[in-house]
Amino acid sequence: MKISKDRIAVSVLAGVVLVLFFATIAGLFYYRSMIRSLDEVQEEAYAEYTRLYAYIAEDPESKISNRIYKEISEYAQENGCYVEMTGQNLSTTYSKADRIDIAISSKVDGIILEGDNSEETADLVRKASSKGIPVVTVLSDCVSSPRKSYIGLNNYSLGKEYGIALGHIAQEKKVDSLSVLILTDNDEGNYDDVIRTGIQEYAVGRSIELESSVVDTSTPFTSQEDVMTILDNMEQIPDVIICLNERTSESAYQCIVDKNLVGKTTVLGYYDSDTILKAIDKGSVYATFSIQSRYVAEQCVNALNGYIETGFVSEYLSSDYILINKENLTTYIAGGDKNEG
Amino acid sequence: MKANFFANMKISRKLVAVFLVTSLVAMGVNIFIYLNLNQALAKIDSVFSSNISLNELSDNLNQLHSGLTGYLETKGTDNLELYYASSQKMNDMMRQLNDDVTDNNVKLSERDIRNMLSTYLKTADEAIQAKRGRNIDEYTEKYNECSKIKDYLNTYIYSVNNEQFRTNSENYMALTKSLRYTEVMSLLIFAVSSVMNVLLIIILTSSITRPLTLLSAKADEISQESPENVEPLEVYSEDEVGKVTRAFNEMLTSIKDYIARIRTQLITQSEMKEKNLLMETHLKDAQLKYLQSQINPHFLFNTLNAGAQLAMMEGADRTVEYIRNMADFFRYNVKKNSDTVRLGEELELVDSYIYIMNVRFAGEILFEKDIDESLLDVIVPSMIIQPLVENSVKYGIKDLEPGEGKVTLVVYREGNCCCIRVSDNGIGTDEEIIAKIMNHEKKPSETGGVGITNVMTRLDLFYNNKEVFEMKSHKNEGTHITIKIPLEDGNV
Repeated sequence: MKISKDRIAVSVLAGVVLVLFFATIAGLFYYRSMIRSLDEVQEEAYAEYTRLYAYIAEDPESKISNRIYKEISEYAQENGCYVEMTGQNLSTTYSKADRIDIAISSKVDGIILEGDNSEETADLVRKASSKGIPVVTVLSDCVSSPRKSYIGLNNYSLGKEYGIALGHIAQEKKVDSLSVLILTDNDEGNYDDVIRTGIQEYAVGRSIELESSVVDTSTPFTSQEDVMTILDNMEQIPDVIICLNERTSESAYQCIVDKNLVGKTTVLGYYDSDTILKAIDKGSVYATFSIQSRYVAEQCVNALNGYIETGFVSEYLSSDYILINKENLTTYIAGGDKNEG
Repeated sequence: MKANFFANMKISRKLVAVFLVTSLVAMGVNIFIYLNLNQALAKIDSVFSSNISLNELSDNLNQLHSGLTGYLETKGTDNLELYYASSQKMNDMMRQLNDDVTDNNVKLSERDIRNMLSTYLKTADEAIQAKRGRNIDEYTEKYNECSKIKDYLNTYIYSVNNEQFRTNSENYMALTKSLRYTEVMSLLIFAVSSVMNVLLIIILTSSITRPLTLLSAKADEISQESPENVEPLEVYSEDEVGKVTRAFNEMLTSIKDYIARIRTQLITQSEMKEKNLLMETHLKDAQLKYLQSQINPHFLFNTLNAGAQLAMMEGADRTVEYIRNMADFFRYNVKKNSDTVRLGEELELVDSYIYIMNVRFAGEILFEKDIDESLLDVIVPSMIIQPLVENSVKYGIKDLEPGEGKVTLVVYREGNCCCIRVSDNGIGTDEEIIAKIMNHEKKPSETGGVGITNVMTRLDLFYNNKEVFEMKSHKNEGTHITIKIPLEDGNV
């Protein structure tokens, strides 16, 4: 009887030992997997691409540039390329020329440049070409440079479009004459003059009185102040304020709200930021022009890929503006959401 | 099989095995955890290695640029050496940087840095060549370009360093957090394996000590109670304890056997003693009776011899014969002091007795004998046949007419026995008397003879109660007494 009790005790102990043994082994395996998982903490997954393009924006902070970069980046990734916004995420803010220079030094496969008419930019494009880096310009061209292609917005016809919009405003207001203030910016080499010419040509023979002022957009904070100053200095508030860039558009809208000029004047803006779209909805802004960013992005990437692969590409690839007003606002927002979705 | 193998090992080896197994388990767990922990620590060490390499890269770039600047300024060989040394080092360091286009910012920046460094080195080389060609404009232009690229590079390195430091710090935090979990886990594993080892030691050492405990308990049991009631121990192993247990069991069996043997011996001895005493008593009784009846036997022999000589001188031959038979009869009774005699001697005594009785009763007793001569040397207890013949003469044929009484003595071999049968044709003996005689209830005859009971008792004692004595009788058909002497080595 005693022996059998002993045996039971030994069997129970042996069972416990077995369980502990397996627990130890399992623990060691778990411990090993824990140590191995430390690797996973360190390593971030990333995808590799065959080509690297640089996107050089006029103003890296600009929403339109960021939207185009986003579209270009997405489309490029779909086509096995990667586009970096040169100069972004750096501790120093570099000038556009420096950013082009950085892109050339870092031997990118191609450059998508928001062009201008300055000689410095043309020289840098030349430098890039000499090093075998193709450059395509977008939004605005760099005519004197050996850029391979311009993905184009026809600024003259944009001016015409602004003019047509003015005609619509005159009709709606049932007035014979309109006083119009065109707010351009002081960036060298932009195409505000071309747009203004387009508007002026439309105004010829119509009782549209055009006036233009330059808004200092060199720093992020001057724009709004400048627009306010310009409006304050005017003897009579114009019937329409035409803004040729995104920041000026928002600043002008803010000014007429602040000065309680809603109804007395209206804005023809540029770019479709949320603020401007809301303003259109409220009626403070009459209409705005936006670009077909996805289409532009596709053209940019295809132009570079085409040039690298075949050595040829069209010098000019046009792309159209979209007029957004109260009538098509809902459809436009729905389409945009769908696109984003 | 393994358990048996373990059970049959020597105790010293068992203990070594126990400690070896537990130590190996503990050591294995320790080594495993140590190696893995080392791996984890190495990972933590390597977390900031990218920052360190970037700092080295930046330092080397500054050295390179200062070598370039110095050379372009003074064309000094020291600066050129510094430039080439740094350039060589830079080339090595560049190879460690990523060269692929990825969507990872840090990796992409690494690629940019690598390519910018390459551009820098190329431009710097061109500047040095221009310096050698003393083309001031060109090397100034190249130098300016190098300075610009160096500025870009420093910005990139700084930015990447910051980005990496942020990522590395996050990794470091995550690693140290994970490491804390692994520390807890390793402590848990240590605890579990230690408990397991302790239990393993308890099981294995108890398997060694348990038989010893049982043995000691059994020894206690033997010391406290009779060994005959103690059961032997079961042998579980063939180690030293197993051998001791086996020896203990054999010892226990031996003790039990010894006790049983001594007990039997004591019983036998006491039985022997009792038997000897009885034999002695009966012999003494018989002898006493004869001594009482033979007042002075020697004197009687001498007188009987004198009578015999007188009768011879007178020519009375029958008297001579009678007296000689008488002398023989009494001489036999006097001289047989020994316990055993030859069967032939017993038969001679019967002859003498019958002769005397026939003289006395004037030839009235018919005596017939049929003897197997080969049995004459059989050793038998003394005084066993004459009392039976005397009994037949005295009681069997007493009341018959003179000349009718007949006594028959037959000695023959039956199987392994020598049979002596004394019969008469007298009136027979009552069954009650026979039963009394056979049950030793009848007292010896008071007539002065030795008596059947005495003969029977002595035969019983001599032959260890083997039933050698048989008495049969029927009314008026006489009495038949048979003695069956076993023919064994000692009595032939």
